[in-house]
Amino acid sequence: MLAQLACVLVGLWLMAAPAILGYGDPARASDRVVGPLVAAVACIATWAVVRDLRRVNLLAAAWLLLAPWVLGYGLAPAINSIVAGVLLAALASRGGHVTQRFGGGWRALWPRRPERAR
Amino acid sequence: MNVSGRPRPASDETPPGWTTNPSSWSQRLPIVALALAGVAIATYLALYQLGLIATLWEPFFGAGSRIILESSVSRVLPVPDAALGALGYLADAITGVVGGRARWRTMPWIVVLFGVAVGPLGAISVLLVILQPVLFDAWCTLCLASAVISVAMIGPALDEVLASLQHLRREHDAGGAVWRAFWGLGEDRPADAREPARRRHVG
Repeated sequence: MLAQLACVLVGLWLMAAPAILGYGDPARASDRVVGPLVAAVACIATWAVVRDLRRVNLLAAAWLLLAPWVLGYGLAPAINSIVAGVLLAALASRGGHVTQRFGGGWRALWPRRPERAR
Repeated sequence: MNVSGRPRPASDETPPGWTTNPSSWSQRLPIVALALAGVAIATYLALYQLGLIATLWEPFFGAGSRIILESSVSRVLPVPDAALGALGYLADAITGVVGGRARWRTMPWIVVLFGVAVGPLGAISVLLVILQPVLFDAWCTLCLASAVISVAMIGPALDEVLASLQHLRREHDAGGAVWRAFWGLGEDRPADAREPARRRHVG
């Protein structure tokens, strides 16, 4: 849960960073799109019942790591993007300790197929 | 008396295999309170968009709130977008409060409606938060607060939706009528007596 809350902070930072660090497009536009998405996904994944949604933020982390090369960032937004991407990847991959039980979770909704069972 | 041999839930209201009851008031009332706060904020913003309030509270972003609330995006629909938001939050509050502590089982339809009301509202809020700076280079404090509220409701609302869907899955697997279970029909029979009778019908 704490890891997800930290991911929310990473998302909020991405929203604020263009103004605080003073960088422009394309890094600004990218961070202003990715930031709210990261914060929203992490906020939802804070709840144990939908904790697996955190994996979506691994995609966001991959984009943060690639974007400086794909879009051609300047130095400051590139460093910011890579640091945020590494942090997000580390935090979003932490599932945390879930003590509650949810009757098998979302997987219980799909019919059991013995030949494909794991 | 446990004829079926399945483990009975801790209490009648807690779903089988769950540690807490997602339909309990302690789980639902905070969501309803958040939704009502959302109604208040969105109504205030809608009154400004309709011209019924002249000035707007904006502590951080200067002209940002006015730019956002008078933007082309906010006028895409015939009614101001904040008015639709207020209706959405009201739907969240109503579908959040209707039904008792076992509504995941007795009223799956209202729980699913609750999820349908909470989910898309949060998604639209996030979209609007993205559009604010990207299209208009402006932020709006109360719009952001409204978005935080709508996203914060999604997680705690989904556990109840899961409990209801699992209930429908069990009814289906036991050969019951999912459609009747969805509307909470046939709940008057005791749980243990239900299953053998149903097996006979479907085979």
